[in-house]
Amino acid sequence: MSTKTINKIADNIDPSLFEFAEYDESKAELTGYSNYSFWRSTIQVFLKNKVAVVLLLIVGLVVLFTLVQPYLPNQKLPNKIYLDPATGLQLRNQSPNAEYWFGTNSIGQDLWARIWSGTRTSLFIGFAVGLFEALVGITIGALWGYVRKLDAVITEIYNVWDNIPTTVVLIILTYIMKPSIPTIIFAMCMTGWLGMARFVRNLIIIIRDREYNLASRCLGTPTSRIITKNLLPYLVSVIMLRMALAIPLAIGNEVFLSYIGMGLPLDIPSLGNLINEGRILMMSPALRYQLLFPAAVISIVTVSFYVIGNVFADSADPRNHV
Amino acid sequence: MKYYLIRLLRSVLTLLIVVTVVFLLMRMMPVEGYFGTNYDKLDELQKQAKLENLGLLDPWYIQLKDFYVSLLHGDLGQSITYRPKVAISTIIGSKFLVSLRFGLASLSLSLVLGLSMGILMARSKGKIWDKLGTGYVVGANAVPAVIYYLLIQVFVTKWLDLPLLYEKVNMLSWILPVICLSLVSTAYYAMWIRRYMVDELNKDYIRLARAKGLRNKTIMIKHVMRNAFVPMAQYLPASILYTISGSIYVESLFSIPGTGGLLVTAIQRQDNTLVQALVLVYSSIGIIGLLLGDILMATFDPRIKLHNEGGSR
Amino acid sequence: MKHKATEEILNGEIVLSVDEIVIKFNLRGKELTAIRGASLDLHKGESLAIVGESGSGKSVFTKSFMGLLDSNGRIESGTIMYKGDNLAKFKTEDDWIKIRGKEIAMVFQDPMTSLNPLKTIGKQVQESIELHQNLKGEEAKKLAIDILSDVGISDSEKRFKQYPHEFSGGMRQRVVIAIAVACNPNILICDEPTTALDVTIQAQILQLLKNLQKKYDLTIIYITHDLGVVANVADRIAVMYAGDIIELGTADEVFFDPKHPYTWALLSSLPQLGIKGEPLYSIKGTPPNLFKEIVGDAFAPRNPKALKIDFVKRPPYFEVTPTHKARTWLLDPRSPKIEPPAMILKMREMDEKWGVSNE
Repeated sequence: MSTKTINKIADNIDPSLFEFAEYDESKAELTGYSNYSFWRSTIQVFLKNKVAVVLLLIVGLVVLFTLVQPYLPNQKLPNKIYLDPATGLQLRNQSPNAEYWFGTNSIGQDLWARIWSGTRTSLFIGFAVGLFEALVGITIGALWGYVRKLDAVITEIYNVWDNIPTTVVLIILTYIMKPSIPTIIFAMCMTGWLGMARFVRNLIIIIRDREYNLASRCLGTPTSRIITKNLLPYLVSVIMLRMALAIPLAIGNEVFLSYIGMGLPLDIPSLGNLINEGRILMMSPALRYQLLFPAAVISIVTVSFYVIGNVFADSADPRNHV
Repeated sequence: MKYYLIRLLRSVLTLLIVVTVVFLLMRMMPVEGYFGTNYDKLDELQKQAKLENLGLLDPWYIQLKDFYVSLLHGDLGQSITYRPKVAISTIIGSKFLVSLRFGLASLSLSLVLGLSMGILMARSKGKIWDKLGTGYVVGANAVPAVIYYLLIQVFVTKWLDLPLLYEKVNMLSWILPVICLSLVSTAYYAMWIRRYMVDELNKDYIRLARAKGLRNKTIMIKHVMRNAFVPMAQYLPASILYTISGSIYVESLFSIPGTGGLLVTAIQRQDNTLVQALVLVYSSIGIIGLLLGDILMATFDPRIKLHNEGGSR
Repeated sequence: MKHKATEEILNGEIVLSVDEIVIKFNLRGKELTAIRGASLDLHKGESLAIVGESGSGKSVFTKSFMGLLDSNGRIESGTIMYKGDNLAKFKTEDDWIKIRGKEIAMVFQDPMTSLNPLKTIGKQVQESIELHQNLKGEEAKKLAIDILSDVGISDSEKRFKQYPHEFSGGMRQRVVIAIAVACNPNILICDEPTTALDVTIQAQILQLLKNLQKKYDLTIIYITHDLGVVANVADRIAVMYAGDIIELGTADEVFFDPKHPYTWALLSSLPQLGIKGEPLYSIKGTPPNLFKEIVGDAFAPRNPKALKIDFVKRPPYFEVTPTHKARTWLLDPRSPKIEPPAMILKMREMDEKWGVSNE
């Protein structure tokens, strides 16, 4: 730039401006980026995804509704067989109407009540599986990662176990044990903990060996603080992801087990056996509602949890934070 | 070479453990499963005689030894209720061909559709095709497959006027089962190839390839797709084997006489030896699939043999 | 002064001329101004070092010469003139293909990840040659082996067939350099070429680059935050802060007669200049948030001796010598006279004693 243009820019400036300004050290710090908070950023990124937010609302409402539904007025019982007051016979295969909102099934039970009861059962199984998986997975993963002597042993067990197809384990365990909610939860947990354990193990090895944690320790950060600040956000977000994904998976497995005849008995309504009941009648168009209603509920619940879990995992990834 | 050997040994070991555990678990089953429909008609003595005859009263280790001996002769035992007294290897053998044909058809379909869909999604990341594809992948993964199989059976058969159930001579009856079989694996292939391609695209060596003046198209073909295929290679054999061994849902829904439908029937009829044999067949397929996957990946990726020499998978 | 060649270079032709370039990024709905009107002329055959702390925009600035900005970034205004073309106006891949590799090549920071793990290193070098030197097959392979020897890989015929994971970090960086050189470029941009390497390897790589510069007649831009590297290789230095070049001069001028308070602060925090028993100087505060518009001198809030005008008006470039200019109001005749910190004076002493700078 030539001297002339400099003069032009520099002209017309109040000479008093060429004095020292007051220096404030705290202001120097203010110039940078705002303070970073993991959870705030995670929530912010999550909320940016409109689809996920809508699905979260839906899931929240569904879960809430399954809990309060039995206590609402004018609700029928899921296992009670309703009779036609005029004839005294079972009120079979009634199409949806003002009295039976989703109609009745082939022995006169109220489908609306059965669907919410079934959703409750299936969600319970899903949550329980997610929780047990997390518990077992974290325990084994922690042993695996911390106790160096156990590393080789658990690694071999893991490799063998991981080689067996999940479906096979599910089938054989439910075939041997009596079909019940604990059986189903147990069978699903037997395969589900693997992923969690491996994750926790890797995490612990990271904690042990990653530079930023080494740095923290060198600076004298207590282990408790390393765990709460460096490990916990990671762990909590992964547990939440796995819980969210355990639900669609558990529902899918429960549907599968019911389909092959290893599911829950009919007096414990579940989404799986509702689908199975609906399937038997699906070829007569007038009765298709018995398949479509549970199918719709399953689709909404599974897709919602699946999307929420994945979007949450993305939001919890610091690389996606501003 | 050492890597392959260790990997092979691990698979054999796994298979032995699985076979043993499954066999022992099956001993814990109620004995009804060995009698078929006439269980109630038999008196205690007859029952004992039958169990004795089947070798079920021997100590477990003798049973296990006998079982392995007959396994080595290719003998999986005899069916009890499904087709009484028929060798299970014969039953499975005849069914397997049907599953194989359906499997190969749907495999080609889903590979072509899934790979092209995944590549399209990776290349238009964040745009409309990617979003539509993601929607499909989410749906196929989250919703239990039987739901959309049933919906297809109920509605699509009518719209397109296609047969509801499998008929051996009617080629039209193949269309829907093949499509159903492909739906999930298409989503899987698309999801994998998209994820791995996006992963590769973000790597530094792609930046270097661009900086040295390669065209995006060349980078996609010569670097990204090749490298993205390697992690996929690990899952491919397992998924192929599963496909050709038949889908439990699709085969039983469309009454296809394949191995997948057989498992459902065997469980419902409580045919213990048949269930045991099928479980063993399915486990072996899974284990062999993973073994082939690791071998395939190790052939493509020179790093694996080095890093995993004797280590974990 | 020691750089005999410097004057020669500065009289030589200008190969690349950047004028008032502004680069913006869209990041999750917000707009970030990464480069705020930086200008630079590059002379044929010189080694120019761009220094600055992380996030000052060094990499973004040079990536814009090759069209390698991330897809959410764009050149808002300004020109980048190269051989009569304005690169700032280039949009399509076809435009950039003529520049990338052929005219300007780049060496990246991390050699561990810069190579395709599934291709032999030979093939990766050969790819550059086939692309830019009109050679195919055996001939390209022969040249690739030659270039690999040139970058100091012994037994290159055998190593041609090896994969990146069979090489150490320093060796991989040599391969990356070979890939860049194999393009036969005019300008070589080295983005933190030694940051990821051991100190002993660093010196080897820098020496290698110097040798290659002579052999292949290269103009090199070094991007670095390591002033040690700069002292070792640079003819000229451009100091970047918050997306702008705030001082530009020959290496001697910037090291021994710096004018901008930020350059002072940067040099003062060199550990080699620390005085025993006193805490090492460090710059207070953090670089400015580039999502916000910056008024005046970007460094003012962190500068204990800032003038009032620094908070009001952005300083223009003031020329110190024909080769040395700085963007600071301190060079305005109306400003109060401020002596550079004692550290800078000490620097001159040290130079006389041990020779901190070139050769």
